[in-house]
Amino acid sequence: MTTLSEPMRATARPARRSRASVLTRRVSTVLLGGLVLFAVVGPLLLADPAAQTLDRYLEAPSLAEPLGRDEYGRSVLSRLAHATRLSLVLATLCVATALVVGTAAGILAAWRGTWVDTILRSVSEVFVAMPALLVVLLVAATADGGVWALYVGIALAQWVEYFRVVRARAAVVLASPAVEAARLLDLGWRHVVRRHLWPDLRPLLTTLASLGMVTSILAMSTLGFVKVGLEPPRAELGLMVTESFPYYDVAPWLSLAPVTVLFLLTVCFLGLRRTETA
Amino acid sequence: MSEIALTIDRARVRHHGNLLVDVADVDVAPGRPLTIIGESGSGKSLLAHAAMGTVPADLEVTGALRLGARSFDLSDLRGRRSLWGRELALLPQEPAAALDPTMRVRSQVAEGVPGFRWRDRGAGARADAALGRLGLSGAGRAFPHQLSGGMAQRVAFAATTIGGARVLIVDEPTKGLDPVALDQLADLLLEHCADGGALLTITHDLRLARRLGGDVLVMREATIVERGAVADVLGAPTHDYTRRLVAAEPSRWQLPWMRASTPEPAGPPLVTATGLAKAYGDQPLFEDLSLTIRAGERWAVSGPSGVGKTTLGNVLVGLVRPDRGLVDHAPALRDGRIQKLYQDPASSFPPRVSLGTALADVLGRHHVPPERLRSLLAAVGLTEDLLERRPGQVSGGELQRLAIIRAMLPGPALVVADEATSRLDLVTQETTTDCLMTGLADRDCALLWVTHDRDLADAVADQLLDLGLRGAAPRPPAPRRRSSCPAGAG
Amino acid sequence: MVQRLPGDVAYRIAAGRYGYDLVDADAAAGVREELGLDRPAWQQLLGWLGDLGRLDLGRSLVTHQPVLSEVGYFLIGTLQLAAVALLLAVVIGCPLGTAAALRPGGVVDRLTDLWVALVRALPAFLLGLILIVVLSVHLRLLPSAGHGGSTTIVLPALTLALGLSGLIARVARDAVVETRQSDHVRFAHTKGLTDRLVLLRHVARNAAAVLVPYLGVQAVVLVEGVVVVEALFSWQGLGHALVHAVFWRDIPVLQATALVLALLVVAVNTLVDLTVLWLDPRPRRQEAMS
Repeated sequence: MTTLSEPMRATARPARRSRASVLTRRVSTVLLGGLVLFAVVGPLLLADPAAQTLDRYLEAPSLAEPLGRDEYGRSVLSRLAHATRLSLVLATLCVATALVVGTAAGILAAWRGTWVDTILRSVSEVFVAMPALLVVLLVAATADGGVWALYVGIALAQWVEYFRVVRARAAVVLASPAVEAARLLDLGWRHVVRRHLWPDLRPLLTTLASLGMVTSILAMSTLGFVKVGLEPPRAELGLMVTESFPYYDVAPWLSLAPVTVLFLLTVCFLGLRRTETA
Repeated sequence: MSEIALTIDRARVRHHGNLLVDVADVDVAPGRPLTIIGESGSGKSLLAHAAMGTVPADLEVTGALRLGARSFDLSDLRGRRSLWGRELALLPQEPAAALDPTMRVRSQVAEGVPGFRWRDRGAGARADAALGRLGLSGAGRAFPHQLSGGMAQRVAFAATTIGGARVLIVDEPTKGLDPVALDQLADLLLEHCADGGALLTITHDLRLARRLGGDVLVMREATIVERGAVADVLGAPTHDYTRRLVAAEPSRWQLPWMRASTPEPAGPPLVTATGLAKAYGDQPLFEDLSLTIRAGERWAVSGPSGVGKTTLGNVLVGLVRPDRGLVDHAPALRDGRIQKLYQDPASSFPPRVSLGTALADVLGRHHVPPERLRSLLAAVGLTEDLLERRPGQVSGGELQRLAIIRAMLPGPALVVADEATSRLDLVTQETTTDCLMTGLADRDCALLWVTHDRDLADAVADQLLDLGLRGAAPRPPAPRRRSSCPAGAG
Repeated sequence: MVQRLPGDVAYRIAAGRYGYDLVDADAAAGVREELGLDRPAWQQLLGWLGDLGRLDLGRSLVTHQPVLSEVGYFLIGTLQLAAVALLLAVVIGCPLGTAAALRPGGVVDRLTDLWVALVRALPAFLLGLILIVVLSVHLRLLPSAGHGGSTTIVLPALTLALGLSGLIARVARDAVVETRQSDHVRFAHTKGLTDRLVLLRHVARNAAAVLVPYLGVQAVVLVEGVVVVEALFSWQGLGHALVHAVFWRDIPVLQATALVLALLVVAVNTLVDLTVLWLDPRPRRQEAMS
């Protein structure tokens, strides 16, 4: 055996990289905490986001209205708080549903094999061939901009990823000598789940979940943007971008506010990932 | 033949201040093989790579290299690149990995011709000729995955030597090679020497060193501890370490648990296999194989790689279903009384939890008091703080001993050891085997050892099943060789 | 799927024809009867499959054009856009990734990292808007929307390509770094090959064998991007058609575009599998099963 490869791994660079990634994660956590606070507390304190004051349309930012007013004279800050809350809550619901369903199905398929695996896999193949946005689009089309359609559509589009990743990974883990040894030692399935599967899947799932949050938030706003998601007058980040874009020249803050929040949300969730892979 | 082809002068390799290699002078003469032996981590591979100029950039290298009349600074890695393949060649470890999986064999050999260009007809013809000389004339259009380990080794040899380099450095060539392939490789290397080439071989395999002859250097902890002609050094070692190394060869073991003769079959049968057959794809591994393993018996399954040893072991344990035939387990094997040791112990523990946590689950399941674990640890010379680490943070030898302890916890009636020591150094192999066999002898547990190493099989087992022979049938092994036998009989 | 919509499909379609203000229950009922929407779902599905077998996808409920020719027209638009975008993405991404891989941790590598994170965090529509604002509104270099003329494709293709190129650069970088550390590349060096020959003969092909399957996965992402970008730039393609069909409940067009998009993904994946087989002749390993 050669010792050649070992010193190579022990270079100084990974240490610097990991320190940088710890910093990234910390900054992301703080920023995200701020956004969550804004989304939770904002709607309680701020004015009604739907209250129109038409004579104050496109009012510039001021101390009382830090982000100004939109074309109907509604408070942009208040609308933004509601939109952020909607994005976060809906995305969390979608990700949680997809994660639980996908992981359970993936482990089941890998563990039981045979016909269970075959059925689950063929179901997933159908969804793989369909771009996620298409699934969401089709489901969203069924229910006139309802929140439920978005939830079902996004969760339906996302569970496949968890299923595929978990199934592939769990199959490797379950076929490993370590699990074989555990079976010979008669340690039972609880040991296999707690000591083998869960420690192995946890970092993967964290990464997938934070990426899933990004995808969900982006999918919602994208659907809002192409006008097949939620419908006005609901405050939604994508819709806010669409609605404000015609006034980009006269009231740039209208567009910049939702774009900034959208960007910060995605950057934070990306920063939370454990691994560096895209 | 007195002139020196290659001299390594005052070579030192450091990593963050740790001295990994510190060797004053090494001379290689044409026609006389020089072999460096030693355990992993002794720095022998690094020395070879320092000479070649292929050490990782973060290692600090000093010293000089002389090729004939020319001298090179070892710290200047790029200075020797123009020599690669033409004057200085390196036969890599694990040829199967060293060949590009996406390229046909012929092109990979042809590109070693000096001045090679795209679609070089002349180089192609030379590659065909070189492959033909090695008995591989039909293999030029094959991809590496279609070759056996021995064929891949010869292809790598052709690609290495086609540039016409006189100095050949060979780095651990025995990995994964069965004895037949090893013999063929040794012949090629000797042929290179006989043609006036210089040969520097790095290996941990004493048999290869004896086979090559010439001179040998023994390395330990970055320095050379003994040097001289192979027959002198390995026949009558003077340094303590060399003595331990030579004594650690399985053919020379003298350990308390070894049995002088095969005991009569007496115990109740544990595993009864009848008419077993298993094929890999459309290639049959074994057919109509029957055997009975009784309590306390010691079995070895031997044969060259790819013959189905491991598969047979797994069939007998009940992990793999045979294509035909029956395997019957006695009730005494239920509830974890049949245990297995793996070639790579690190892969047999849950990788992301501490060893203590993994073992605690075993203690809990089999109602073993923690004191038993402590006494077992003490018996094999392991400390308890090892349990706080994860499998990846423990050395292979220590981890295999821990795996042995884990296998002993349920009180097994049969232990299957699948090449359990083949990745360990000779000395570590001896202590690990001793550990396992003492544990087995204490409780009269049966053993099935799967190994490609016949000497090891002879040392540990009373019954030998050689799958290399067609129509394999169990038989007792040859009369046990003791250390009084002449060395190198293998 | 769409057939299971709540009962207002007919309303929507009627609205598409006559405008929202003029729709009443009678108009909706008329539409329903005309289109056979009152039949049970399975009859509709069977009928549609039968029509599909005859390559008869029906007529658009909105434009009354045969769906087949309409979808064919949109398909060409989408293929043009996707091909230009993919080409641009590969041309930007591969050299960038390779340059980053030759010096891991170097300046190019860090910039690529940043670029990937930035592109990943921006949804396609925002990227498109930014490009419109910068290149079209402020610099007045390119037309912002429309279909036709050679310059109109630049912005939508660039929007798609920028998003993809970051990912391609990243994967190409990792693949090249990994390949360069492999035993066979080291062996190629010690055989006496020059850096350039090693890169061209060994690294490129092995890295491509990693990158191409990844591109197959990205085909799905590309299709998603196409939907958004076409809608944003009013580029006459399948995505554009799909969004309109969803909005107006134009069921035949909706079914046909979704079908064609799914088939497109399947076709791309088949192509990818064949390419990988050519690049890397090793037999595919059976997936490990317990």
